[in-house]
Parts: sequence; C-alpha cells; structure tokens
Amino acid sequence: MRSTVSRGLLILAPCVVLVAFLLLNQETGSTRMNTASSPPQETPSLGKAIFDSKCASCHGAEGKGDGPPSMQLMVKPRDFTAGKYKFRSTESGSIPTDEDLFKSVREGLHGTSMPNWGKFMSDDSVNAVVEYIKSLSPRFKTEKPRVVRLGTPIPSSPASIAAGKKVFEKLQCGQCHGTDGAGTDAVATDLKDDWGNDLEATHLTEPWNFRGGSTARDIYMRFRTGLDGAPMPSYAGTASEQEMWHLANYVVSLARKPMWAMNEQELSAFFASLDQLAKANPVPRGKYLVESIGCANCHSMYTDEGFVVSGMKYAGGLTFDLYPFGTYTTRNLTSDKETGLGDWSDEEILLVFNEGIRKDGRKLLPFPMPWMGLAQLKDDDKHAIIAYLRTIPPVSHKIPDPETPNIFSYLWGKFRMLVLKESIPGPAYPMKEVQP
Amino acid sequence: MKKIFKWVLIIGLPLVVIGFLAFLYFIPPFDLLPREAFIQPYAAAVQASLKPIDDPAKRMIAERGRYIVLYADCNGCHTPGGDEGPNWDEYLAGGLKFSWKPVGTSVSRNLTPDPETGLAQREDDQVLDVLRYGLFHTGRQMDWTFMPWAGFANMTQEDQYAVLTYLRNIKPVYHGIPDWTPESRNAENSFYPGDWAKHKGQQ
Repeated sequence: MRSTVSRGLLILAPCVVLVAFLLLNQETGSTRMNTASSPPQETPSLGKAIFDSKCASCHGAEGKGDGPPSMQLMVKPRDFTAGKYKFRSTESGSIPTDEDLFKSVREGLHGTSMPNWGKFMSDDSVNAVVEYIKSLSPRFKTEKPRVVRLGTPIPSSPASIAAGKKVFEKLQCGQCHGTDGAGTDAVATDLKDDWGNDLEATHLTEPWNFRGGSTARDIYMRFRTGLDGAPMPSYAGTASEQEMWHLANYVVSLARKPMWAMNEQELSAFFASLDQLAKANPVPRGKYLVESIGCANCHSMYTDEGFVVSGMKYAGGLTFDLYPFGTYTTRNLTSDKETGLGDWSDEEILLVFNEGIRKDGRKLLPFPMPWMGLAQLKDDDKHAIIAYLRTIPPVSHKIPDPETPNIFSYLWGKFRMLVLKESIPGPAYPMKEVQP
Repeated sequence: MKKIFKWVLIIGLPLVVIGFLAFLYFIPPFDLLPREAFIQPYAAAVQASLKPIDDPAKRMIAERGRYIVLYADCNGCHTPGGDEGPNWDEYLAGGLKFSWKPVGTSVSRNLTPDPETGLAQREDDQVLDVLRYGLFHTGRQMDWTFMPWAGFANMTQEDQYAVLTYLRNIKPVYHGIPDWTPESRNAENSFYPGDWAKHKGQQ
C-alpha cells in the first residue's frame, strides 16, 4: 500500500511541477500580451526631458524663470510663460522665430549665465528644447512671428560713424547708456524690466557682453526690433533705416580693448580708472562685490524646497548647525533699525570685517562667515560694501541668538571630534590618489 | 614609597582629568587666539600662492585674480584642513567634504594647476564654464548651494578671466580628489560640518 502511494506520488510530483510551470508561463505570457496590446505609456518628450534636466534649474520647473539660483543672478533667467523675448529678428511685440530661439540656446547669451548649449548637446536636442519652450506660452499657438526686413547694410566708414554719433545724440541713447556708451553721466539708472527686476544698461564699449551678438548686423537688429520686456524700445518709426545702420557702425566703433588684450601701461591705467570709479560711486561697486561674493547665499531665508522666501533676500535666517559649537543663524543684513544693520555704525560693521567681533562683543567663529578674507579687502571695497548694505530696503526679521550647547554635550562633542576623530573642523580628506 | 605614590595618585589624577577636559574645552582655541592669528597665515598663503610671472601684463591680471579669489572666499571650501584650521601649504588644493541631505555629498576640487590631479587637464573654457554656469566639463550642473556659482556668474567676464589667469599660475599641489558619482546624491549627512547648512524649515 505504502509503495503504491509513494509510486503515485512519484508520478504525480512531476505532473504538478509541469502544470505549475505551464500555468506560470501562461501567466507571464498573458501579461506580456497585455502590455503589448495596451496603449503606449505617455513618455515625456525629448524636449521636456532635456528642459527638466538642464534648463529647469534656473528657469524653474514650469519655465517661469524662478529656479532657485535666479534669486542670486543679477541677469534673471527668462520667464517662458510670457512669451516675451529680447533677442529676436521680429517686429517689436512679436514672438520670435524658431531660429532666434535656436540661436539663443545654441550660442548662449554672452555675459549672462545662459550657457552655449551647442557645446553640450546636438542641434536636434536644441531643436527639441526650443519646441518645448514654445509650448510653455500660449502666444506661440495663436500668433505668427512677423520677421523684420533687413535693409541694405551700410559698410562702416569714418563718415558713417560720424553720422551714427549724431543719431546717438538725437535718440538720447546716453540717457541710459551714458554719453560715452560706458554709463558716464547716465540719467536713468534704476531701470526695471516688465517683471520688476533691476536692469543695467549694457556698456556699449564692451562688445563681448552684447548678448545678442556684436556684429553691426546684430546691433542693428537690436535697434530695429527693441528688447521686448526691457526698457530698450524699437526705433523702427523714430529713426530711418540708414540712421540705424550708421548708429550700428558707431556702436561697433565704441569698443574698447578687453582686459585680456591690454599691455602693462594700459592695464595700470584701466585698473586705476576702475579704482577711481569705485571710489566715486561706492554703491554700484559694493553691489557688484556683494552679489558676486554671494552674501545672499547664506544671509537669506529659505523654504523647504530650497527657494528664497520672497522678499527675504539679505534678511538672514539660514541656520548652521556647527556641532559641537552650537547652532548659528545668519544675521539680517537689511537696513532695518530693530533687527538689521540699520543702527550699526560703519565702525561697528568694520570691526566684524576686520576682527570678527560683533558690537555686542561676541567673537565670530572662523567659519562659515569668512571674515578673515573680508579683513584683507582694500579699505575702499569695505566701505563700498557697507555703502551698498545701507541701500537694501529694511525688512523686519528678528534673528535668534546662537544656541550654544551645555557644557557636557559640548565636551562630549569635542571628545568625538578631537579624540574619536569622527571628523574635525575643516574636515580633512586625506586622499592621495590619482584621479582616473 | 607607597605613601608618595598614593599622594601622587590623589593629586595627579584629578589634574590629568581637569587638564584633559580643559584641552577638550579650548581646542581649537578660537577664543584664546588673537584675531590676527586667523588672518596672518591666510594673508601669507595668499601672497605666496602666485608663481613668479615674467610677462608684466599677465602678472597684473593674475594679481587682480588673486584679489578676487580672496574676496570670493574660494579658500573657504577649496583649502584642505590640517590639524588646526586650514592647511595653508596646500592652499586651494581642494578635498573638503560637504554633505547636505537634499543634494548629497560633494568634495571640493583641486584648483591648483597640478598636471595629474588639478585643473591642468581642463581647458580655459571648461574652467570658466564652472564660474559662469556651474557646468562641469561633463555637462553636469553643480548644485548652486554647494558651489555658489550663481554669485560668481555676476562677475564681469574680465574678472572671470583674471580668476582663470590666477588659477593657472599658482603653485601646483598634488592632491587627488575622488570623482563625483551619482551615488553620492544619496549620502547621509556627515557628522561635521556637512549638516551645518540646514534649511530653517528642516529643523
């Protein structure tokens, strides 16, 4: 009896295995068939994929020009939802052509943080991004670009340049760009774009900063089409075509030598003129220093997503956990009297720069506030920074005093740091390997 | 003899313990050092960093770059740590590790023109791309909260060129830095000072 059962089992077992195998196989087979018959999943287009990985960091996930670094950039990233573009070959107020957008993405915008993406991606990819950018504004669905007719160029000549100088005076370009094109005696200095961002009139003496290009044709195009969204208008009705070509030749002739092409004498004269300018106008120099150092990187209040809270640039509030020294929060740098630097005298601010000592006597740690570097600045630059900080509109934001740990947790933290060597201040990374 | 030993133990042991606690308390001696002690070695390292340059124009541009690198505080992240503060002999040689949960872990690069481990392998445009756009030669964009390129992007092109000229002419230091990998995004916060830069909301 027992032998029959076991023999039966012997026969049954392979059968069960076989059936199970068939069933399983069928199951996977059927699922495979299902996927084949179901409609293809919506894959994000190539343009969107590239936009999300490359462009969204500055232009924002929705293309509104509000990515986190945009708060620090003096030239703000474009808001694609408005469909207003500066560098076009189309009439004022018109949408740009695909070629215009392609050129801006591929070649970048000189003197801004818009890279020349042609170096990093193929033309097909750039085209895909352009298509995606166009889909962000409804204007591209309803409107057609009105391309300007490029007249006959007038070649540059002394006569044309002299005529261009007259046009420069007639159109009062100096009001924004300065009588010499380099900002000297400019009247309109607080320029704003349509989004309320601060703008600086381009220095016409520095063609390497011309974002739309520096040939006479490029410059002509800027007069002809205007910069939509910025105060630079189109002069299509105001000046004749010849006048605009003369003006373009004149602007080309304004170019000065760039620093990298200067010799010793020119450099010392150039640096002396920069120092003189900084002394005469400390606020712009201070702004340049503060914005390029990136003081706002730490002295601002952030949301959880890493955005600066609107209006809280320079108002402080980023907390540094400097275990075991305590928790420190960046100070309010605005000119608010109660909570900011409003009632600090110049000498008190200088004491922080020079010795890292606050007016209440507290000594700053050597990190993360780099006062030891600021101490080595030229005196004029220190005063320029202070002069600029005074112009930041007051924001009331009370910063808590540093929280220092109690003596026991402080000693325990120091023990971990100094004896257990879990990590030390200015953490060494003792690697002596060759980079592959 | 035994009595002396006992007294040494009674007096000496507390002294050793107190000394050890005082050592823990005061090292690094941020509060004890005069403030110049922080600045002087830094200033000396900045002064000594530049190699002699024959071309006077190039030297002037490099000196301007030296000043910009000083005020932009490149040193704060790009000089490796020694036992007491930064290791000034390896000025700008990189190697500080920064961890921050939202973005992962990064190690600052070697900015000296060392042929094997430094910037000598990078072309001029590739170095400038980092300053202007935060873009590595691989096309990867650095997180702006680690490397604050969004500030350096505000510099004029001439000042960026001066920084480049300076970095090309400082003393090379052999200091290999591990390459960034996608896995380092997932890194935990390090003990110190990685999580020093917490967002206010994340506390």
